[in-house]
Amino acid sequence: MTPVVAGLAAEGALAVVALLAALLPGRRRNLLAGTACAALAAAGAVTGALALAGGTGVVRIPTALPLPPLTLAPDALGGLFILVAGAVGVLASVYAIGYAHGASASRTQWAALAVFLLGLQAVPAAADLVSFLLAWELMAAASAVLVLADQARNPQARRAATWYTVMTHVSFLLVLAGFAVLAGTTGGTAFDVLATADPTSAAAGVAFALLALGFAAKAGVIPLHVWLPLAHPEAPSHASALMSGAMVKMGGYGLLLVTLRLLPGGPTWWAVALVALGAASALFGILQASVATDVKRLLAYSTTENVGLIVLALGVALLLRGHHAPGAASAALVACLLLVVSHAAFKATLFLGAGSILHGTGERNLDRLGGLVREMPWTAAAFGVACLGAAALPVTAGFVAEWTLLQALIHAVRPSDALVAVAVPVALAVIALTAGLALVTFVKAYGIAFLARPRSVGALAAHESPASMRAALLLGAGAVVALGLAPGPVAEVLAGAADVGGVEAVGLAGLSLTGVDAVLDPVALLALAALVAIPAVGLVITLGRRLPARREALGWGCGAARTSPRMQYTATSYAEPLMRIFDDALQPTRDVEVTHVAESRYMAERVRYLQRVEDVIEVRLYRPLVAAADAVADRARRVQNGSIHRYLAFSFAALVVVLLVVAT
Amino acid sequence: MTDVTWTTTALTLVVLLAQVVVMVALAPLVAGLTRQTRARIEGRAGPGVLQPWRDVRKLLAKRPIRAAGTSWVTVAGPVVLLVSSLLLAALVPLVAAVSLPLVPDDLFVVVSVLLLGTVALALLGLDSGSAFGGMGSSRHMTIAALVEPTVLVAVYALSIPVGSSTLSLIVTERRDDPASIASPAGVLAVVALVVVVLAETGRLPVDNPATHLELTMVHEAMVLETSGRDLAWVEVGSWLRLAVLLGLVGNLVLPWGVATELSVPAVLLGVVAIGAKVAVAAALLGAAEVGLAKLRLFRVPELLAGSFVLAFLAVTASYLVA
Amino acid sequence: MHLSEAAFSQLVALSTGTLLVTSVLFVWRRSLRAAVRLLAVQGGALALLVAAIALAEREGELLVTALIVLAVKAVAIPLVLARGLRADGAALRDEPRMNPTTGLLAVAGLTTVAYLVSRPIIDATRGVAALLAGGDAEAGPAAFAVPVGLTMVLVGFLLLVTRRRALSQMVGFLLLDNGIATVAFLTAAGVPFIVELGVSLDVLLVALILAVLSGRLAELFGAADIGRLTGLRD
Repeated sequence: MTPVVAGLAAEGALAVVALLAALLPGRRRNLLAGTACAALAAAGAVTGALALAGGTGVVRIPTALPLPPLTLAPDALGGLFILVAGAVGVLASVYAIGYAHGASASRTQWAALAVFLLGLQAVPAAADLVSFLLAWELMAAASAVLVLADQARNPQARRAATWYTVMTHVSFLLVLAGFAVLAGTTGGTAFDVLATADPTSAAAGVAFALLALGFAAKAGVIPLHVWLPLAHPEAPSHASALMSGAMVKMGGYGLLLVTLRLLPGGPTWWAVALVALGAASALFGILQASVATDVKRLLAYSTTENVGLIVLALGVALLLRGHHAPGAASAALVACLLLVVSHAAFKATLFLGAGSILHGTGERNLDRLGGLVREMPWTAAAFGVACLGAAALPVTAGFVAEWTLLQALIHAVRPSDALVAVAVPVALAVIALTAGLALVTFVKAYGIAFLARPRSVGALAAHESPASMRAALLLGAGAVVALGLAPGPVAEVLAGAADVGGVEAVGLAGLSLTGVDAVLDPVALLALAALVAIPAVGLVITLGRRLPARREALGWGCGAARTSPRMQYTATSYAEPLMRIFDDALQPTRDVEVTHVAESRYMAERVRYLQRVEDVIEVRLYRPLVAAADAVADRARRVQNGSIHRYLAFSFAALVVVLLVVAT
Repeated sequence: MTDVTWTTTALTLVVLLAQVVVMVALAPLVAGLTRQTRARIEGRAGPGVLQPWRDVRKLLAKRPIRAAGTSWVTVAGPVVLLVSSLLLAALVPLVAAVSLPLVPDDLFVVVSVLLLGTVALALLGLDSGSAFGGMGSSRHMTIAALVEPTVLVAVYALSIPVGSSTLSLIVTERRDDPASIASPAGVLAVVALVVVVLAETGRLPVDNPATHLELTMVHEAMVLETSGRDLAWVEVGSWLRLAVLLGLVGNLVLPWGVATELSVPAVLLGVVAIGAKVAVAAALLGAAEVGLAKLRLFRVPELLAGSFVLAFLAVTASYLVA
Repeated sequence: MHLSEAAFSQLVALSTGTLLVTSVLFVWRRSLRAAVRLLAVQGGALALLVAAIALAEREGELLVTALIVLAVKAVAIPLVLARGLRADGAALRDEPRMNPTTGLLAVAGLTTVAYLVSRPIIDATRGVAALLAGGDAEAGPAAFAVPVGLTMVLVGFLLLVTRRRALSQMVGFLLLDNGIATVAFLTAAGVPFIVELGVSLDVLLVALILAVLSGRLAELFGAADIGRLTGLRD
């Protein structure tokens, strides 16, 4: 029994323990079930790390069906995703011990969390399509239960869960169909057999299109992202963290599986399609995030952006690989995996932080927050670090990932063909605009929520979270910084997982992209910064001692009134310039209602301003679809008149047709 | 590493630190020279080139007042801005186009350090809890976001002939091949960068550094609640950032005189050269600002889109030559 | 006088670069006066381009063509348009149908398109040149000019489609004409100067007629917004 097999077995055993713990009555359930779930996730993380380090192992589970046994045999790439899912799982489980309460601490919810964790880790471990699809469905069903946590009190949760379930099943059906096409052409179900398909054949093209769409739906790539901004805000925060930090990555894993392992060397249009999808998602996602005011909705749209960047990086890697720029191609692939890892770290931390805000203030709306840095210093610190990561500023994980992607792009050799010549500058411009808007988004999220003065009673009465939540937050923030400080070893491991070269660790833990001749050593950068900062900060402190001390006074209120917190900029007003600039893309609806004073219509008594931004894609694409489906369903109702005889007649007719089909 | 590379690294470090000192000394003079040029052209006597130095001395002696309800960001923000500007002065090739082996003056790193300062200033504005702070911060970040595509695409255009995004390599390459400076791609990219520098440092026509009209200001709105030495750090940090970026543009347009070896005469020549270039750039900036009016905030995207198109054309043009 | 290879390519780069940037500026600026000034600059750049070719290939006839281009495109037409502008009297700004930011991004897109479609043309001219020279030939000035000329044609069309005022329409048309001239001079190894003379005079005539017409339009309707011409049907 290899260590990997032992790890997989331990996962199974711990899943049973977690399920049992979830059934415990009373208050101890949170602690025990949470610990068991964390252990399950940790076992997964260890197993993933082993597989990533080159360990192998095969687990065969016989079934009653006339199919080959279900096979779990993680390779290095799968190991990476198991590790990511496990690490995020540990954070979420530890966090949930303190966070879960009321409906989200029920037996069902804890059991669903355990099943979700198991499913998440089984997807990248699967080595044949039947076990892959089973794990996929396990993951999808359990997460749908998690989204439904608050359904008894909150009708929004029910609506979100409906959207999520429908979209996730569309994704499942597409993936199923794609795999079916591949299995049909190769005559097997194991991935090794599927990999024998000819990637240039028409069948492979169809399979790629189906699989890419299916995985894109899971990953939250536009236009299949609509479930993300609905489901993330309604799910309990630890579940959102898991869904955004780990589950959407499985969509990314699926794309990597298809393009690297099953159908390597596909035609160029695959790469172009991925670049286009990724670029559109990144821009659309961050644009919506920059004007969002619900903090979890903001994070959900930012997930669409990050996943877009991941898909874009993968597309660029495939494009350059096909056009003889191997150095830049492998750098792009490493960037893709770095984006996966860094996004898992900072987005999980951000969702956990959002949960802490909700826990401490009862508010999710940025317009009603403010000044939390005083009452919630730990949450503020962790959320701040994660915001730096999401805005891709040094020295965090996000910065390293984006730097690698940019280096890959500018070193895409002087292109001999027009496609690369057009795709590279456009991709660069899209990434740049995305990065700029991400900066606004996260300055807004942090500045409005944590700085300035409280904008509501809830924010005024904020309190810090319990220890388990703080621990998870700090662990997450630590991961964001650690990944940013030591990109060299991390990137080496990732390059190994993707089976490419061109990456080397230099200096203390710096990253050298040998294929494109670029070096980044965050520790050395930090040392240089310290060298110039120490004299400066020393000067600041000595002067601060010798010069007069600070005095507090009222802020400037235009010389008249005292300032009230209502005079501050809110998240909505902060994003107003962007809203006006990107008016055509966002299409907000505005309503101004002026009530005049009775005596004169020149004097306004009250002005009411209402602005709403809806998802353009949801409004333009899905509403007509849903309406059409409703209309068809209405018409279909005519065949249904309540007569048992008619229903039996339908079955009878169906039976006859089936018999006829079988006979011919 | 061998002894030789150790000595080179140590020497490089010394030169870079000297560069920081030179730039810190130059920064207030740059601000002063800009204002003085402008004053003279407008027919005023002007306060003299040394006025910013006197301003800093005055601010340092004053008792800082902070608005009630502000957090540690109000104290730390100015220092972060100052440190990011200092780091910028160490990274960008100004006096000498040399770089440390582990910390090359990679343009993407330079841009991110610049953005770190931008973010510190924006958070400072938000922390003040007044309407103005938030307004300035919001506008500042919006402009920063829209500038980003131009910066990166212009960087890309500059990096194509060299095959690297390392600034010192770009500068030396341009010095060795002067034809590339006058090439359409080179000119377009530099023009785009100039617009970016104006936007990032809050100069006309994007922001009016001399305004105190609440509704039009961007930078001044953010620092409205900052006073005393806190304001001094913000001002020095902003001036330093202006001086460094002007110096960078100067070195891209006239890459001569930059020290490429680690000898005392070369470095001294580099100091003189960068002083001259920055002075010329500052005087030109001051002269240009006389004839410019501030754009409406919602016309700024047009300016930035225009500069983006120039940068994009630079990329296209450099492919055409290939 | 003979021009060295390096100086020639520098001159071509300078003039085509100017042509490209001025075309972008047409979309950027709303002021009609600026548009007229830009036309003058563009005419000058075109003349410079023709003169550079004339010097490089030592053709006196082309030099004359350059002078004609300079006289008509850089001096006469802008003068006529400036007069028209004064006669028009209404606001000097055009309110385009497309906001300038979108317009500028559209220009970036159009440049890309021009660059993409001109690749085969460049390759073809290179092939012909190689055939004639009996070896491999440099891409030559055509490599600069074809995409730039094509961009000018496309941007000219963009102006025609998106601008409201009759004078801006004229500007768009002239830009289009300049684009065609740029491509013609560099790919077909020059245009016979009699042809160029005829075309230039035609264009001048069109400019005159349109300037007069827009003046009349302004008198009749108050402003030469051609959107209102739809009211003339039936």
